[in-house]
Amino acid sequence: MWRLIGLLICLLVLAGCSREPLYQSQSYVFGTLVDISIYGESEDRARALAGHVEQEFQRLHDSLHAWKPGSELDRLNAAFAAGKQVPVTPELAAILADAARFSAQSGGLFNPAIGHLIGLWGFQRDEFAPVHPDPAEIRKWVDAAPHMADIVIDNGHAGSRNPAVKLDLGGYAKGYALDLAANYLRKEKVQGALVNIGGNIIAIGKHGKRPWRVGIQHPRKAGPIATLDLPDGWAIGTSGDYQRFFETNGKRYCHIIDPRTGYPAEGVQAVTVLVPPMPDAGTLSDVASKPLFISGKDGWRGAATMMGIANAMLIDASGTIYLTPGMRQLLRFEEKGARVEEY
Amino acid sequence: MVAGITLAGWLFATLWHTEPAGKVRIRSGDTVFATLSLDQERTIEVPGPLGVSRIVIHNHQARFQSSPCHNQYCVHQGWLARAGQVAVCLPNRVSLELAGEKGYDSLNY
Repeated sequence: MWRLIGLLICLLVLAGCSREPLYQSQSYVFGTLVDISIYGESEDRARALAGHVEQEFQRLHDSLHAWKPGSELDRLNAAFAAGKQVPVTPELAAILADAARFSAQSGGLFNPAIGHLIGLWGFQRDEFAPVHPDPAEIRKWVDAAPHMADIVIDNGHAGSRNPAVKLDLGGYAKGYALDLAANYLRKEKVQGALVNIGGNIIAIGKHGKRPWRVGIQHPRKAGPIATLDLPDGWAIGTSGDYQRFFETNGKRYCHIIDPRTGYPAEGVQAVTVLVPPMPDAGTLSDVASKPLFISGKDGWRGAATMMGIANAMLIDASGTIYLTPGMRQLLRFEEKGARVEEY
Repeated sequence: MVAGITLAGWLFATLWHTEPAGKVRIRSGDTVFATLSLDQERTIEVPGPLGVSRIVIHNHQARFQSSPCHNQYCVHQGWLARAGQVAVCLPNRVSLELAGEKGYDSLNY
């Protein structure tokens, strides 16, 4: 009889644990989906924490929006075009300096100053449609050579030596927001959280006793191509040709523009980078995938070295998967027989 | 004793119950609009900022049947059948997710 009671107590304890202390929220910011998972907090506290993070994201979105009239970035772009200087917040000044540093590190392949080209290709719209930009117009903006190094920040004011500079932080802001969220959730001593902004993810702590698990979307099929554990502090980012793109006459035009040519990058379906814990892991996971994507299958390893990325995967236009040795160790592939090429 | 066995039976059902991969969770904006069994034939109208997204459940699958958005990516995504599969209409802020064990917590894309 005691044995039965003991068994029942065990079962009751287990029953108490059977409902996971996992809170999940979903919202729409930065023109994309934001998923926040929080583990180990009461529902009320988790809701408040996620709500604060979402408010911060909304604030950043409003401030850094590349084409909404009146955003801080919009006013800055207007000043650049007019050759004027305008006051900038300390936060935006720091972002501009940071983005300029990354741009230099990438040899100019990560270039948030090419907003005119991105707009020309129709990607500065909530719902873009196929466009056919005038090649002469593309040439003009490529020749004008807008660079982050043209921006001058002095005494709380920003201006540009080159009026062709138009900022679009689409390849930076989500990663920056991940770092902001991670810092806040750590400060609040959250046991575990997973923050996903439009596919860019950062992990804080664990999902209870196990690490957070992430799937990497297959670029051409429903569901993941691989899964991996995302340990505390790690961030993952993918640039793909399958989320923001349009097709005309059977040719795919993706949203990643090669600043050297002014045309959408070709030959790659997706690049995924995995960044270990560091103060700007989220930002780097967002930024670094662009120069790798643009460099293509012949140049991506060099670009990864330049960006300080050890763990990366490239899937070329034929679907062949290329992995750095570090990445090979970390991924679990979903399907057998995937064409994987290594060093 | 009978009560004990009944309790153990109930606990067994509670503890070893996993959500069947037979449900679709429909969200509108930041709220869960409905969680529905895939074991039915049904069309659901979900309101969003642009208008009504029409979701259809048929043959244990779910999809966007129509959407007021421009690109129709959500509609072109077609049928969802496996746990963890997701379709999202970003412009109209409506999403579908097939509930159940999917092997990961969040999707990188």
